[in-house]
Amino acid sequence: MNPVVLGLNLALCFSGLAALALSLDRHHRDAFLRRVPPGRARSLRAAGWAGIGLSLAAAIALEGWNFGPVQWIGALTGGALLVVAFLSYRPGWLRPAALAALPLALLALPLALKG
Amino acid sequence: MRQGFRQSMAWLHTWSGLVVGWVLFAIFVTGTASYYRTEISRWMRPELTAATADPARSADMAAAYLKRQMPDAAGWYVELPRPETPLIEVHWWKSLEGPFHNALLDPATGAPSTARATKGGDFLYRFHFELGMPPTVGRWIVGLCALVLLVSLMSGIVTHRRIFADFFTFRRGARTTQRRWLDAHNVVGVLALPFHLMIVYTGLVTLAPMLMPWGLVAAYRAEAPRFYVEAGLMADMRAPAGRPGTLAPLGPMVAQAIARQGEAPEAFAVYNPGDAAATAVATFEEPHGLAHQHPQITFDGETGAILGTAGMAPTRAASTTSTVMVGIHEAHFAGSALRLLFVLCGVMGAATVGTGLVLWGVARAPKGAEPAGLGLRLVRILNLGTIAGLPLGIAAFFLANRLLPPDLPARADWEIRIFFGAWALAALAGALRPQDRAWREGLGLAALAYLAVPLVGLATVGRSPVPAFDIAMVAVALLFGCAAYKAGRSPLGARAARPAQDLSGEEALRA
Repeated sequence: MNPVVLGLNLALCFSGLAALALSLDRHHRDAFLRRVPPGRARSLRAAGWAGIGLSLAAAIALEGWNFGPVQWIGALTGGALLVVAFLSYRPGWLRPAALAALPLALLALPLALKG
Repeated sequence: MRQGFRQSMAWLHTWSGLVVGWVLFAIFVTGTASYYRTEISRWMRPELTAATADPARSADMAAAYLKRQMPDAAGWYVELPRPETPLIEVHWWKSLEGPFHNALLDPATGAPSTARATKGGDFLYRFHFELGMPPTVGRWIVGLCALVLLVSLMSGIVTHRRIFADFFTFRRGARTTQRRWLDAHNVVGVLALPFHLMIVYTGLVTLAPMLMPWGLVAAYRAEAPRFYVEAGLMADMRAPAGRPGTLAPLGPMVAQAIARQGEAPEAFAVYNPGDAAATAVATFEEPHGLAHQHPQITFDGETGAILGTAGMAPTRAASTTSTVMVGIHEAHFAGSALRLLFVLCGVMGAATVGTGLVLWGVARAPKGAEPAGLGLRLVRILNLGTIAGLPLGIAAFFLANRLLPPDLPARADWEIRIFFGAWALAALAGALRPQDRAWREGLGLAALAYLAVPLVGLATVGRSPVPAFDIAMVAVALLFGCAAYKAGRSPLGARAARPAQDLSGEEALRA
């Protein structure tokens, strides 16, 4: 039970869910004031699911089959709440925040592996 | 009555949610607080000083005390001191029907503890599934409400037709009040849906033997405990021999348990302590894992020899499923970070219920100058009385803990009376004030009360025994302050910008 692993999970879930949110017309318009181009929607969706999948993989690899999924589901809820908060209050910040979370996840990885 | 499946589910969701909503809100709030039951208890007993106590010596002191209280008891149960609760808690009873007596002993002297009398976090924990009522009645009500919540969750999922398209949608600036509340209800409900489903289902599993006793009764008749013994969950207890015996000292048994298990037991029980066939049971903390399953070692009370063990070998699939479900519900396995996420989910559960209740009223707000009907007024009063009143009661409970004189007779009961009294008073005052002002005042008062908790603590006992508790109080105060500010800015009810429409019609108004 390592808080760094939870942080890693949260960061990946947040980035993934943010990408999924931005692949939807309504939220893309909130953030960028225009509809999402079809090609971009596809790549955002792929990136989003990849982030969520990576988070699950990391949770299971680092916390095992018992705690991994529990922690991942918690991280999904936390990450999604963060996305909704950004979309409601600062939609323009969602993309930078999601991008900033990725290097944080990368930084957390060696710490998580060590702990 | 010919209508679509979704409409009938919407009806079911609306009304099933309403009838049990107020109780569910209380269950969610106190359940969420129970994740920090130990910390709350510790904060409410500021006199305790962190000390490491010897478990074997503590067990002997407990036995000496219990022998004076009730040598012919049916059972003694001793909770041994731990670093976070430096106390010996003893329970004793003559019959499983009750009454159950308990006392706190000082592990240094073995005498009754001089710490202020309080139920601590245990009160909120028990309220979570007994509502402060007699155990059986409370558990039945909570069990039935949980059952209705499961129905409400399922019908809610069917009713919410755009669960994925609206996954992240919370339109703060939506034109209608109803739309804003519906979005809020959907967001907190859907984002934590895995938690909501898990917590209500596993909660029902904890009450399952009471809600659905038939299998157990048919197979075991009056010998229900045998079921738990055979399932490998409970230690085998010997029947009393019917002649008096002498209980061996508990200390060496505890030492033996430590030698065998490599850790101190968290509790030590003696059944039929005055009988020749007394059985002693050492119960250990759950090993690291999801399952709620305590290893146990049983001893012959007269000789102190080990009789057997339970809860150690892996149990069969059905037992494991049930213990894992209970384990996930209680989340004892969760470290501080994950526990925080569980708390967040619990708060979202309370918010789902709360927004749902408010939404019911908003959707039925009369148009224009029409007066609100009796039903609507009643719902509004209960909403305010629960959503602002209960948290206010909990804050009053904490304040009472600091302000009541430490040597007041029946002090622990007074704390609880103040909890219920403050709650009732807040609900009553809210009922007498105009709706819009009542929300702002109720929520604002709750914010002030939570802010007062750490300050009063500082003034009465000085440095907080659990600083994180005080930080949490300030966070809760900020939350309520924020809510009071919002309630002051956009009042509920009659000022809806658009005439209220039913939920399905509302969907058509989507921008």
